[in-house]
Amino acid sequence: MSASARRRGLWLLLIPMLLWIGLLFVLPHLKLFYLSFISRRGGEFTLANYLYFFQNPLYRKIFVRTAVFSTLVTLLTLFISFPIAFIITKVAGKSLKAMLLLAVILPYWVSELIQAFTWMVIFRESGVLSYLLQRLGIVNQPIEFLYHDTTIAIGLIYTSLLFMTIPIMNSLETLDDSLIEAAYDLGGNFWSTLREVIIPHAGPGIMVGSIMTFMLNLGNYVTVTLLGGKNSLWFTEIIYNQFIIRFNQNKGSAFSVILLTFSVVFVWIVLKITKQDLSEAM
Amino acid sequence: MSQEIDVALVNVTKKFGNMTAVDNVSFEIPKGSFFSILGPSGSGKTTLLRMIAGFEVPTSGDIYIGGQRVNDVPPNKRPCNMVFQRLALFPMMNVLDNVTFGLRRRGGMSKAEMERLAKDALARVGLQGLEKRKINQLSGGQQQRVALARSLVLEPTVLLLDEPLGSLDLKLRQSMKLELKHLQARTGTTFVYITHDQTIALAMSDTVAVINHGRIEQIAPPEELYRRPATHFVASFVGENNKLTNGRVTNFRQDDVVEVDIAGIPMAGRAGEKLAIGDPADLFIRPEMITLRLGKHDDGILGKVSEINFDGSHSLVIVDLPEAKQPVSVNVKIQHTENAPDVHVGDTVTISWSPDAANAFHPVDQSHIETEV
Repeated sequence: MSASARRRGLWLLLIPMLLWIGLLFVLPHLKLFYLSFISRRGGEFTLANYLYFFQNPLYRKIFVRTAVFSTLVTLLTLFISFPIAFIITKVAGKSLKAMLLLAVILPYWVSELIQAFTWMVIFRESGVLSYLLQRLGIVNQPIEFLYHDTTIAIGLIYTSLLFMTIPIMNSLETLDDSLIEAAYDLGGNFWSTLREVIIPHAGPGIMVGSIMTFMLNLGNYVTVTLLGGKNSLWFTEIIYNQFIIRFNQNKGSAFSVILLTFSVVFVWIVLKITKQDLSEAM
Repeated sequence: MSQEIDVALVNVTKKFGNMTAVDNVSFEIPKGSFFSILGPSGSGKTTLLRMIAGFEVPTSGDIYIGGQRVNDVPPNKRPCNMVFQRLALFPMMNVLDNVTFGLRRRGGMSKAEMERLAKDALARVGLQGLEKRKINQLSGGQQQRVALARSLVLEPTVLLLDEPLGSLDLKLRQSMKLELKHLQARTGTTFVYITHDQTIALAMSDTVAVINHGRIEQIAPPEELYRRPATHFVASFVGENNKLTNGRVTNFRQDDVVEVDIAGIPMAGRAGEKLAIGDPADLFIRPEMITLRLGKHDDGILGKVSEINFDGSHSLVIVDLPEAKQPVSVNVKIQHTENAPDVHVGDTVTISWSPDAANAFHPVDQSHIETEV
């Protein structure tokens, strides 16, 4: 086969992926970008859609809240996932390992929507938790656990736990146990070994997991809306409202572009600060 | 002579479930000596070393380091450091940070002081100027040295080495072997080296403990181990040996010299353990201890050369014994000196040896032991 024929073959194999990315990712985003600079009535170029966001303190606050909340939830997810990943890869025996892994994966066999409904069954006023507390005599009237920030956080952590745990597990899997033993042998303790040996090694995995979790949180709609209700004040809801309730595609597009730009810039800054290379991390 | 003891094991046993990895082992390692633990894989030597390091806790028995019982002391508090089989250098740090890792854990020292000590240690192993290198930029031999420096900089009472030369190629292993021995002599640190490679153990050690199935077979200086094996296992595991089997003790020439009948031919050897007339016995004779003469002589055993393998400084001559009732052949190593016999395949020869050069033992089940020569 000649080199040019081989190259043609390669392109042929790439076509499905290029179509996928082009038609479902690049084109819609170009359209989104275009719409965000167009006025709704006249169809001429305008910055009004963006100005509307920056001049409206409510939207700004919701945006900041979404960003901060997502970051905090990502950190919490990391703190919960890391020990899980460590136990599965380094501590557990073979059978326990399989069991724990299954316990982490199993919730993802149902959709996010069902997951959220399950949490609602547990947390609502007439739900399992409220009922249990009453039966145990801890409280004497039903309590509404839904529509709090804590509930939203629990739901978000639950939906993204796997996406944090698996990359960290992958990176810990390649950590030679004798490195941990060597650190102890040289006088290290739990914290110094964690700080100087384990975390630096797991760094890329932590980064990938955090990026995925952060993106999932930032762009989450189902869990946040169902568990947070009107109190959720999530930016994706604002975008949804512009598109679906107000039929304002242009403002919705502008808001989407803002969210997208923010998440890309934020991830880039975090990568710079932690001195991680994206290609290396991925 | 009272000698200071750095490491002492007293009746140490380690069980993993039903499996006994180390079985009632006791020994003492004098300060400043090079002590090797030699055994085939699965003999329990790694478990033994990991117990001294503190990564495993003995099921019973006591371990003392520098006179202190350390059974309950975690590895990070023991005055010993380990050089791991796969070295376990920290790839996320450069050479200097690897070497100062232990010093940083210890604290109470300025950064400059730590760097000075680390550079000293690196100089001692011949690695000046490579402080800023990444671990993966070093060759195998250099990594070996970093691992040594990282442990030695802490000035441990005992340095434990888990076969760290195993991964090197032959040439490098030979030179590192000598270097390690010189390093040990220079620092005066007690080295405990575990290996399955007897050439390393014999060449470097002051004392070698041979271990098999979790039990100590013999603890002796290399030369004694080679000349006076205490057990059947040591005789077959250490060095090349002719093993003549299915013999029977027929006579005592002296208190400790027996005559063993091998396929109808009486052969003399030292009784390696307590033997009685009529006992079944195997006889071990070192190939280089056998004298080979051309022609038929009365004071030896008649043989016929069936094969000659030239190996540079010496040749391995395989001699069949025509007088034997069953086929028996003996390997004889002859040095190529000026008056070496000029043997050819098919020659009639006479072989003989001093009874002192052969060792007789009760036969044991050998299914698990690698065959020799």
